[in-house]
Amino acid sequence: MLVVRPAKRDDLAGIARLASAQQVRVSTLPGTEQRLAEKIDHSRRSLAHEPDTRGRERYLFVLVDGADGQIRGVAGIDACAGNGQPFYNYRRDALIHASHELGVSRPVDVLYPSHGLTGHTLLCSFMIDHALRETDAFELLSRARLLFIARHRSAFANHMVVEIQGVQTDRGAVPFWDSLGRHFFNMDFATADQYSSELSKTFIAELMPPNPIYVTLLSAAAQEALGQPHSLARKTSELLQREGFRTGCFIDIFDGGPVLEARTDTLKTIVSSHYRQVRVSDVQGAAHYLVAAGEGARFRCILTPLGEGLDGQVRLPAEVESQLGCGPGEPVLVAPR
Amino acid sequence: MLVIRPIEERDLNDLYVMAQGAGKGLTSLPANRELLQKKIQRARDTFHQRSAPEAGMYLFALEDTGLDRCVGISGIEARVGLEEVFYNYRLSNTVNASRELGVHVRTPTLHLTNDMTDTSEICSLLLSDTHRKGGNGLLLSRCRFMYLDDFRSHFSEKVFAEMRGMSDQDGRSPLWDALGRRFFDMDFSEADYLSGVGNKSFIAELMPKFPIYLPLLPDNARAVIGRVHDNTAPALRMLRSEGFNFNGLVDIFDGGPVVEAFVHNIRTVRESISRYVLISRKPIDLDVPADQRVMITNRSFRDFRVTTLPVGCIASDTVSVPPEVAEVLRVSSGDKVRLAPLKDGGYSPIQASGH
Repeated sequence: MLVVRPAKRDDLAGIARLASAQQVRVSTLPGTEQRLAEKIDHSRRSLAHEPDTRGRERYLFVLVDGADGQIRGVAGIDACAGNGQPFYNYRRDALIHASHELGVSRPVDVLYPSHGLTGHTLLCSFMIDHALRETDAFELLSRARLLFIARHRSAFANHMVVEIQGVQTDRGAVPFWDSLGRHFFNMDFATADQYSSELSKTFIAELMPPNPIYVTLLSAAAQEALGQPHSLARKTSELLQREGFRTGCFIDIFDGGPVLEARTDTLKTIVSSHYRQVRVSDVQGAAHYLVAAGEGARFRCILTPLGEGLDGQVRLPAEVESQLGCGPGEPVLVAPR
Repeated sequence: MLVIRPIEERDLNDLYVMAQGAGKGLTSLPANRELLQKKIQRARDTFHQRSAPEAGMYLFALEDTGLDRCVGISGIEARVGLEEVFYNYRLSNTVNASRELGVHVRTPTLHLTNDMTDTSEICSLLLSDTHRKGGNGLLLSRCRFMYLDDFRSHFSEKVFAEMRGMSDQDGRSPLWDALGRRFFDMDFSEADYLSGVGNKSFIAELMPKFPIYLPLLPDNARAVIGRVHDNTAPALRMLRSEGFNFNGLVDIFDGGPVVEAFVHNIRTVRESISRYVLISRKPIDLDVPADQRVMITNRSFRDFRVTTLPVGCIASDTVSVPPEVAEVLRVSSGDKVRLAPLKDGGYSPIQASGH
């Protein structure tokens, strides 16, 4: 059985192994073990409400196989995008260039540097074992975070964002970066991407062009890539759209990938989640639900068949109850699949 | 004899024919009869001080007295950008550096400016093909500097010229194709024409207002920024020898450079001298090479006239002027005239009179 729970120090090797097998790098997951250990530790301290994490809480979750303890996926939440520093995006907007005298009027696409999404809650660091991509586990791992947010609602913002990875060619080139960022950062995409996950964001402020960019001056390939997800990120993007996330006018400053936005309290998982008392019982042929129990470091989430009684109680198999670590009578948060 | 004088209504036809022959790229003088007529009228009003000094537009005609025809024209716009908005790009640098990463990147950037607003512009130089010799172009261009200096209160301290930028035989400008065209679906020559007939600010309304980072433009477009058209290279050389320098501004359409100078620093102004006219009955051979001639002006605001004389006519207090020259200059004995060199490396009046 697969369980989602907060990452622990012991998970380091498992996460690193998983990361090295990925086809594409996840920019919000650091490449070195030391940085990764720091990230896990930061998550642990955020869960423990340690004062120095206030306003920059970052949570990291793992998808664990209950049978053998293997790490099969990772997913994160940054309570405040930017984590106390500016969160950079481009806002794509239109200007109308018009001349009354010449009878001409045409929209001009412009990318404005923006910090407008700073402080929104960010879903990030999503990574799953390739073998599980086409299974329910994908949904479990992604949505478990939303139940965590529902469970700890006051710790998160009213608006949520997700950066979806942008277009990259088979040979690893990023057209948007090559047409824009490369000129200013003087480095290839992979390097910049790595810096952005490992260094403070000061370098972005220092190197990013401060003025708006006219889309029409970008290369054709870059214009085409603008706001488009990487083919491997399409599934993530679709799942999030089913949740209620929408593409808005923001795009990533490095690869031009779309930024999805939503109001936290309108997300499907959060709206449809409700607390129930647990009763252990055999459940057969029932519908699947996401079930989450526990707070903070004890948070667990599982996708399981569940029987819903009329008395406000839910029936769960004994195995699930033990994996959730919840005692009898303890309320659990359930959300339909 | 060739003489510079204020333009007159009767020059319209000659001017129209010259404008037609000039082809693309002469923004300020499009071959449009009605428009040229208006320009002439504006110039007449200016010379007769019927318009405010800052609205002044001075057009000088080069008349071949033998042919009784206008064979060239040059102009001064007293102040640009007062009625409409005058745009240029400023070519500047954006530096982004990160000490942490050891990165230091310099990005040439074009900023849209109105920096030349309220400045005098020398413009509209056009010379008939039949007269492109013997320093006629120099006379047309340089005579303006003495006018600027003699009537400084009508002009700004600094004057500038917009130099025609690079375009190919078909009139296509690489900068326009890479930049202007993306915002304004029109050929360069069409935009340039509209600009010349007074629509420049309308076009500018459609142009990008935010800075343009040059690395986003193709190489061939970047290469022409600040470069002049081959046909304009001699004009640029002449202005440089007068002390004009590139001031960092370029044309928003074709990237041609703007050059500027303070009037008091212009070589023609610095090297000019004053003399009293002495009408000479002695025959003087006027037909000497350009490098042995100097410009002579009558210093009249309303009826500014300039022609050339052999440098040998200059004495310590006076200049000997043959009667026919005095007649076209409208001067008589005892009038004060001004003299200045015509050619680079030619005789300068300062040397000739032993200063």
